[in-house]
Amino acid sequence: MATDAKAGAKGKGPKLPVILSANRLLEGDVVYLTAGGWTLDPASARIASDAETAAVMEAEGAAAAAANLVVDPYLVPVEIDATGFPRATHFREAMRQTGPSIHPDIGKQAEYAH
Amino acid sequence: MYRYDEFDERFVRERVQQFRTQVERRLDGSLSDDEFKPLRLKNGLYLQLHAYMLRIAVPYGTLNGKQLRQLALIGERYDKGYGHFTTRQNLQFNWPQLKDVPDILDLLADVEMHCIQTSGNCIRNVTADQFAGIAKDEVEDPRPTAELLRQWSSLHPEFAWLPRKFKIAVTGAEHDRAAIKVHDIGLKVRRHPDTGATGYQVVVGGGLGRTPMIGKVIRDFLPKDELLAYLEAVMRVYNAEGRRDNKYKARVKILVHEIGTEEFVRRVEAEYAQLDGPTVNAPESEVARIARYFAPPAYEALPEDSAVLDAARRADPALDAFVAQNGFAHRQPGYLALTISLKPVGGVPGDMTSEQMRAFADIAERYSFDELRVTHAQNLVLPHVRKDDVPRVFEALKAAGLATANSGLVTDIIACPGMDYCALATARSIPIAQEIAKSFADERRQAEIGPLQIKISGCINACGHHHVGHIGILGLEKSGKENYQITLGGDATEAAALGERLGPGIDAEAVPGAIETIVGTYLKVRTDGEAFIDTVRRAGLDPFKASFDAYVAGEPA
Repeated sequence: MATDAKAGAKGKGPKLPVILSANRLLEGDVVYLTAGGWTLDPASARIASDAETAAVMEAEGAAAAAANLVVDPYLVPVEIDATGFPRATHFREAMRQTGPSIHPDIGKQAEYAH
Repeated sequence: MYRYDEFDERFVRERVQQFRTQVERRLDGSLSDDEFKPLRLKNGLYLQLHAYMLRIAVPYGTLNGKQLRQLALIGERYDKGYGHFTTRQNLQFNWPQLKDVPDILDLLADVEMHCIQTSGNCIRNVTADQFAGIAKDEVEDPRPTAELLRQWSSLHPEFAWLPRKFKIAVTGAEHDRAAIKVHDIGLKVRRHPDTGATGYQVVVGGGLGRTPMIGKVIRDFLPKDELLAYLEAVMRVYNAEGRRDNKYKARVKILVHEIGTEEFVRRVEAEYAQLDGPTVNAPESEVARIARYFAPPAYEALPEDSAVLDAARRADPALDAFVAQNGFAHRQPGYLALTISLKPVGGVPGDMTSEQMRAFADIAERYSFDELRVTHAQNLVLPHVRKDDVPRVFEALKAAGLATANSGLVTDIIACPGMDYCALATARSIPIAQEIAKSFADERRQAEIGPLQIKISGCINACGHHHVGHIGILGLEKSGKENYQITLGGDATEAAALGERLGPGIDAEAVPGAIETIVGTYLKVRTDGEAFIDTVRRAGLDPFKASFDAYVAGEPA
């Protein structure tokens, strides 16, 4: 199932580093947790390199879900590329960071050049 | 076409208002996500990979121009300017925002449309033969039956929380274009061999997904006026005994398989005997009222042949190819049905822009009695075109980018949204379809290959019907990469069959070459005039397996 791709879905801690993703409740857009709120731009996502930071981010995500700002927050394992961009290691999450591969004119790939 | 009566209108409007307040309560926190999710799903609203997705019911695949224009407007105002026709004859928008959905539902209600029961564990949109009321091999138009079932199943209190989703398809023709044998219930209108009375053959327990099954005939002839009571008995047996402990075993196909067809029939008949049929079955007057909406349009009395079309075809090879490939013989002399392919080479199967919708609405209004159909193969149909008008229609279609002459050919590929959009997908589908189509772009070569249905799903849920593709492609994840399994010999018609695996899964880049290899083997093995599926049936899988294995091993063909 696709949910297996989500970090921590098998009960183990996700492979670090990680970012935290969710969808905005009101619009449905994919968003990422930053140091001070949520961003549409995956390049601005806050990166956790240790388990403690990841746990804090997860708690922030859960609080945002409880406050009806986002739905379904979860940690996403990433690799930091040469430009500093936290690229998701799984192709499903990489697709969420860009948008449909068949529509380069639509989604984050069109709005944010990475 | 069916028109809403006062009850339909009120029911749909009330539902929109209910959903509007449900959204408000979700946004103010009165409803939790767990509480809201089943409510939004019952209104066709999913949360997908990138955004929400709204699935709009197109009952038995029939639309008019005004409805298509409204879909164009919604696509433009609330989405990204396009929609996607699905294998269930529905339309999906991929980018609506939750805050806008109540307004979208109001716009749909304005044109007698809705999203009710396009998701959730209920009876879904009833599908039908796209050539209903047209085909020469038809016993009776299946749409009045489908509309009756729509009314019966809409908010049926007993069947609102079934063990799992439930899909019904209806055909009135000898040749099955509605894939009735791979639905939870398939109905075929037929005549009693002795009395000539109209009734139904009832097929139950077909389905695709992770456990594909061909449906079993549980009644060879059900008198027409007994339909609703008999289906109510089927639904009651399923509702009571379907597996609610395991969602993967919860479809009626599993129940039929586990207890056996004979036992299932016994239980249905026992339930049926206890039902008070006359209180369940629709009154004759209501059946007749519904049927009147589907009376044939006001055809002109025309000769069968059109000198205008014949001359135009001689003068224009592109028109000639289009009519030969996408034309479908109409029962009314002087008319033709045209399949409008939504599969341009390199395009997204089933996608249509708002501009194309408007152009097509114009064409349907002007040349096809304001009627169009959606096919389960993700194409559209102009059901009633005067042969004399076909050259003008072809020019209008060309101008809208809708004149691809590939209906039923190797580039007319069914593909689910796959991982480009879908949260359940394990791999992409659409780019695979695009690459295969590019590989076979040459129209002469497509014609030489002949009828060949490729169907692609991006996960085992099989929305792309891969099990019943002549060539089926299933996208999975293997070791963190997309991987594709190829099956051969599937068939969705009255000769329904499930495809068999050809060999190991392969990478995305290797798929077009694998299809080339399979087609190459077919061209070598086929006899004169033998269609692909017939060659596979006659020759078996062995020659295809051998060439596929050699291809996978990297050996020269």
